[in-house]
Amino acid sequence: MSKIKCNHCHLEFDDSVMIKEESLNFCCKGCQGVYHLLKDQNLDSFYDKLGNKSIQPPIEVSSDLNKFDTESFEKNYVHIDNNGYKHIDLIIEGIHCAACIWLNEKVLYDTDGIMEATINFTNNKAKIAWDSDKIALSQIIEKIRSIGYNAYAYNSQVADEKASKAKRDYFIRMMVAVFATMNIMMLSVAKYTGFFTGISNEVKHLIHIGEFILSTPVLLYSGWIFYKGAYFGLKNRILNMDFLVSSGATLTYIYSLFILFGAKGESYFDSVSMIITFVLVGKYLEVIGKKSAVDTLDTIKSQIPLEATLIKDGKRVEVPVEDIKENDIIELQTGDKACVDGYIIKGESSFDESSISGESIPVYKKENDTIFSGTLNQDSLIQYKVTKTYKDSTLNSIVTLLEDSLASKPKIEHKANEISKGFSIGILSLSIMTFIVWYFFGIDLGFDYDGVNHFEKSFIVAVSVIVIACPCALALATPIASLIGISQLAKKGLLFKEAKFIEELARTDKLVVDKTGTITNGKLSVVKAKIIDDNIHKLNLLYSLLDSSSHPISISVKNYLKEKYTELSLKELSEVKTIQAKGMKAVYKNIEGEEFTILGGNQNLIKDFNIDYKFNSQNSVYIFAINGEVLATFELIDEIKEYAKEFVSNSSKNGIEVIMLTGDNENVANQVAKRVGIKSVVAGINPIEKAEYINKLKQEGHTVVMAGDGVNDSVALSSANVGVAMGNGADISIAVSDIVLLNNSLKSLNEAFVISRKTYKFIKQNLSLSLMYNFITIPLAMAGFVMPLIAALSMSLSSLLVVLNSLRIKGK
Amino acid sequence: MIEDTLYMMLIIGLIVSFAILGMFVWGAKTGQFDDDEKMMGGLLFDGEDDLNEAINREKKKESLNNEKKEQKKSKPQK
Repeated sequence: MSKIKCNHCHLEFDDSVMIKEESLNFCCKGCQGVYHLLKDQNLDSFYDKLGNKSIQPPIEVSSDLNKFDTESFEKNYVHIDNNGYKHIDLIIEGIHCAACIWLNEKVLYDTDGIMEATINFTNNKAKIAWDSDKIALSQIIEKIRSIGYNAYAYNSQVADEKASKAKRDYFIRMMVAVFATMNIMMLSVAKYTGFFTGISNEVKHLIHIGEFILSTPVLLYSGWIFYKGAYFGLKNRILNMDFLVSSGATLTYIYSLFILFGAKGESYFDSVSMIITFVLVGKYLEVIGKKSAVDTLDTIKSQIPLEATLIKDGKRVEVPVEDIKENDIIELQTGDKACVDGYIIKGESSFDESSISGESIPVYKKENDTIFSGTLNQDSLIQYKVTKTYKDSTLNSIVTLLEDSLASKPKIEHKANEISKGFSIGILSLSIMTFIVWYFFGIDLGFDYDGVNHFEKSFIVAVSVIVIACPCALALATPIASLIGISQLAKKGLLFKEAKFIEELARTDKLVVDKTGTITNGKLSVVKAKIIDDNIHKLNLLYSLLDSSSHPISISVKNYLKEKYTELSLKELSEVKTIQAKGMKAVYKNIEGEEFTILGGNQNLIKDFNIDYKFNSQNSVYIFAINGEVLATFELIDEIKEYAKEFVSNSSKNGIEVIMLTGDNENVANQVAKRVGIKSVVAGINPIEKAEYINKLKQEGHTVVMAGDGVNDSVALSSANVGVAMGNGADISIAVSDIVLLNNSLKSLNEAFVISRKTYKFIKQNLSLSLMYNFITIPLAMAGFVMPLIAALSMSLSSLLVVLNSLRIKGK
Repeated sequence: MIEDTLYMMLIIGLIVSFAILGMFVWGAKTGQFDDDEKMMGGLLFDGEDDLNEAINREKKKESLNNEKKEQKKSKPQK
C-alpha cells in the first residue's frame, strides 16, 4: 500500500487510513480540524514556514478547562502587575520547530485581550499577559489547544529567574572575553612574526598598548567571577581553581604592565585573556547545564495535579494537594492523574503507570490495589484512600531526588579542583622561592642581572615562572582531545552533553540497562498464533473487533493478521464494549439477522463468560471467541532490539558487566535477559529503588553507566556516573542524562565505549606531554634562562603538539 | 609617519570594535540572546510581513496600556 503525507502534520500513513477531502489527505480528525482553522484565519503561511518538517498530530485533551479559572489555580500560578494585567508562565507541549512558535505567538497576539505572548523555543516556556476583563485564562488555553498544542502552567520560581539571570550574565562576560581574545590574537600574530622578520620598538610598543586596552576588560570584567570565586574560597580556607586562574592572570597582567611602561622584556597580555577566556567558556557550559536542569524540573512539576476531589461527609470538595492528609478519601475520574499514593476502596480501572514503571501496557487495578501518584486513571471512576501525603508520595519524591542529584552533579570538577589546588600551590611556592633566591642570594650565586635593577629582575624572573607554567597546554590537553572525540561520536549519532563523560565512559565497569525501550523496542509482537478456524468471515469479525481498540495488544494482533491475510475487510459491529483490563465484547448481525457475540481478550475475559478453555502462557495473551467457542489464540512478547545480543557480548568482552533493572515482573524480565545473554537481572523495582541500586554500586567503587528511556528511569539516570538516554525517550530522561543516543541504536552505544576509550588514551598522552613541557621549562625559567622569544615559542609549540596529537583520534 | 598611521588605525579600530561590542552587550542585557534556538530560527521569519506584525504587536500593547490607564483615571470620578 502506498504511503501518503498528511496535509497538516506531514507524517506519512497508509493510503487506506487517510481521511480524504478533495485533493487533501488527513491522518486524523484533529489534523483536519486544525488545517481548516488555520485556513479560515489566514494562517496557512504556517505550512510554508514548516517546509518539509513534520509535527505531532493535535493532542487530544480532556475538557478540564474550568480548572484554569478557579481561585486556587489563580493563587498558585497567576500574578497581577501594577496595570492590572494578569501574567502566567506556561509550558507549551507539542512544539517542534520555529514555525510552531510562530503559529502560537501569532494566534495568541491576534486574540483580543492578550497583551503579550512570548514563547521560548529552547525550553518551550511561554510568558503570557492578558486583560482579564476581556478574556479568561481558560479561553486562552482553549485557543492554544484549538491549533493542536497543549499548555500546562508552571510555577516560575526564583530558581528559574536566577538560572536565567546567571546564564545571561555569564554569556555577556564570555562574549566580551572571546571578542577581546580574538583581537589580541591578531595583534599577537603580528608581534610574533616580528620576532623573525624584525620589528621596531615603536611598533611593538603600539601592539602592547592595543593588547593592554583589549585585555583589561577581559581581566577586570570577564575575569571578575574568578576573583569572586577566589575570595569566597579563601574565606573558607580553600585554594580553588578560581584562585589559580585569578592569581596567574593578575600577576601576568602586572608583569606585562611593567614591560609596557618601560621595563625590558615581552608583555603577556595575550596569555592573560586566553587563560580567562578558556576557563570562562567551560564555566558557561556548566551554567547552561544548570539552567536546562531547572527547565526540566518545571516540566515535571507542571504535570503534577494541583487539586484533588476529596470526599468529605458524603460531599465532593476540591482541595489543594498540600492539604490532603492520610486516610482521606479521594475520587479519581477517567483521565485524572493521581496526585498522592493510596489504595482503591471502591471501583476498578486500568492505570497508565508509564511514568513510574516505564511499561506502556495499562495495569488493571481493583479494590485494595495500590495507586501511585503520577499515574493516569484510564477508564472508570474510582475512590481511593490516601496512604501518603503529597510530600511523601512517589512522584514528588522523584522530583525531590532529581533536584538533589542535579544540584550535586559536578563530581569530576571536584577532582579537577583538587589537582589544580596542588598545582597552584606548587607553582606559587616555586615562584616565591625563585624570587627569594634571586633577590637575597643572587649576587652570591653569581646570577646575571643584565644590568637591570636588582628587585625588578628578581620579580620578572619569579613572574616568568608563573607565566611559563601558564596551563595553556595543560588546559588544552583534555578539551582538544575531547572535542575531536565528541565530533567522532556525534557522527555515530551520539550526543555528549559534556566532554568529561568521555573519561567516565572509558572507565566504566558496570552498565545498568532498563528493559523496555532500551533492550526491547517496547512494542509487542505475536510469537505464537493458533488459528483454530480460519474461515475468512470469522477472521473479518476478529479484525473488526481489533480495529475498534487502541490497546497495544489489539494493535499488534491486528498488524499480524493484516500481514498474514491480505483479503481482510471491516464488518459493522454493534454494542462494542471495553471490559476493563480484560478485553472487548461486541455483537454482529448478519444479513439473515443471526446474532453473534464476539469476545476478544485475555484469560480472565474467557473465564468471566464461562467459556471452558484452558490456556497457560507466561506471555501476554489474546484469545478470540465467537458465541462461546474459541477460534484463535495469540501469544505476544516484547520485540528485542536489533544488535542487543551482540551489544551484551561485546560489553562483557570489554570487561563491562551488564545488569538489567526493570519495573516489570520477574518472569518477563528473565525471559528477555535470557534471550540477549544478560546474567544479572533485578525485576519488579520502582524508580527510587533503581537509583538506590546504582548508588550502592557506586559506593562499592564501580563506575556505573545507566541506559534508559522513560520518566521512570530519570532518577537512576541522574544518579549514575553517566546517564545514557534513548533519543526517542521521555523529555525528562533526555534532559537529566549526559549522553543521548539519537538513533536509539545499541550499536551506537557500543561505539560510544570504543571511541571514549580511545579518546581517553589520547587525553592521558596529552597530559603527559604538557606536564613534561612544564617539567623542562619551569626549572629553566627559575634559573632565568627563559628568553621571551623562547617562552612565546615554547608555549605555542606545546599547544600545537597537544592539538596535533589529538588529531590522531580521527585517524585510527 | 608609519607609526602615526598605525596609532590612528589602532584607535579607530578599537573604537569601532568596542562600539559593536557595546551594542552586542546591550542586546544581550535586554534578553535578545536568551533563547538561542529562537534567535537562529528567527532569521527565517524576518520578511516584510513579519516585521509589520512585530510593529502591530507593539502598537497593540501600547493601545491596551493606554486603555487601562484611562480606565484607571476614570475610576475615581465615579
